[in-house]
Amino acid sequence: MVKIDKVIGKYVHLTVQDVEYRVFYEESGQGIPMICQHGGGGDGLEWRHMLNDSDITSKYRVIVPDLPYHGKSLPPESVEWWKQEYQLTKNFLFDFYLELMRVLMFERPVFIGNALGGFLALDLACEFPDEFRAVIGVNSALKAGQSTRDTFNHPCVTNDYRRTNAMYFCGPASPEKYRRECTWCAMMSPPVTKGDLYYYFKEHDLTGKTKLIDTSKCAVYLLTGEYNPTKSIEDTKRVSEQVKGSKFTEMKGMSHAGMPENPLAFKKYLMPILNEIVEKSKK
Amino acid sequence: MAVCFIDPKNAVEFKDILNADKEFKIAARYMTKDVCIEAGDTKCIVKFRDGVVTQIKSENAFADPWDFAIRGSIDSWEKFLQPIPPRFYDGIFGGMLRGNFRMEGDTVAALSHLWAVTRMLDIFREQQNK
Repeated sequence: MVKIDKVIGKYVHLTVQDVEYRVFYEESGQGIPMICQHGGGGDGLEWRHMLNDSDITSKYRVIVPDLPYHGKSLPPESVEWWKQEYQLTKNFLFDFYLELMRVLMFERPVFIGNALGGFLALDLACEFPDEFRAVIGVNSALKAGQSTRDTFNHPCVTNDYRRTNAMYFCGPASPEKYRRECTWCAMMSPPVTKGDLYYYFKEHDLTGKTKLIDTSKCAVYLLTGEYNPTKSIEDTKRVSEQVKGSKFTEMKGMSHAGMPENPLAFKKYLMPILNEIVEKSKK
Repeated sequence: MAVCFIDPKNAVEFKDILNADKEFKIAARYMTKDVCIEAGDTKCIVKFRDGVVTQIKSENAFADPWDFAIRGSIDSWEKFLQPIPPRFYDGIFGGMLRGNFRMEGDTVAALSHLWAVTRMLDIFREQQNK
């Protein structure tokens, strides 16, 4: 019997900050729109389990874009991008998502993101509480720690570094087949990791701003892996303590990679959140 | 618990186990470096030539040169070598971010060969828990 995923891939043309981008996104399911943001240097492959899980797609319209310069979203044709160092900024991310939501006509979607996406989830909740019904920050924190940006775009550092990082950004007891898949995905990404980490290390900083997050407008859920060495469970607890009404859960045995390192374990933590959002949305 | 890779009695056997490992052979391709692994005030130097480990030297290695070093306390390595290590001791890179291990010397070469080094250390863990 032929097996074909229900996931559909499309391209949408978005004009962001006066530049047109041909943006690839995958979509599956019906219901509450849920945007899934990949991590730095990654692409939508990180969310493939979510797109194919009928427990989720029966209630949610899951949308997984590849940011420009990532995955199947090539650099724009109108820009001489090779003459400038790629750098992902918070303002670009804001404008990109507001335009994506406008063009695809999302009504107050849920936003879920891991690592870089987890940071963005909090920034969106802070800046655009009326645009999102909830954000789910995976491995989120107030701000990043010690920067490792330069190691990701050095001509003498091989791709073996990226694959090894990815392997050990998974919990040691996560299934080996998925840990290895994470290494494969890490090797495929173009040299955008350093540029992505500009937002991660240099721009995301919620110090003193957490009071601006209003969880009565935009609910905030936080999930962090026990093993995550970049941002620990203590770092995320600090966010949760400061954002009144937010809910934090430690993901036992998991680490920085989130869903792709152990989809079944991740689902165990995610489903109560998704069910709660469905119930709240009925009111 | 002794740190297995420092024990000179294991040197020849561990060299052969590394060179026979399918993943390690791929990970160590082209590698010609001398790697110092230090546990507290003891150490060994693993010598790679064209992707093959030619020697693990933990005796009389005081003045031997090396290209890069991975350093940790005995306590850090004992935690690292557990079958399921505790958090922040399960990988060298994450352990470095948390101050439990240090990388010194030619760090660009160390990062480039991180797959070989981490596979080697994972094999040492397997041997520690045999």
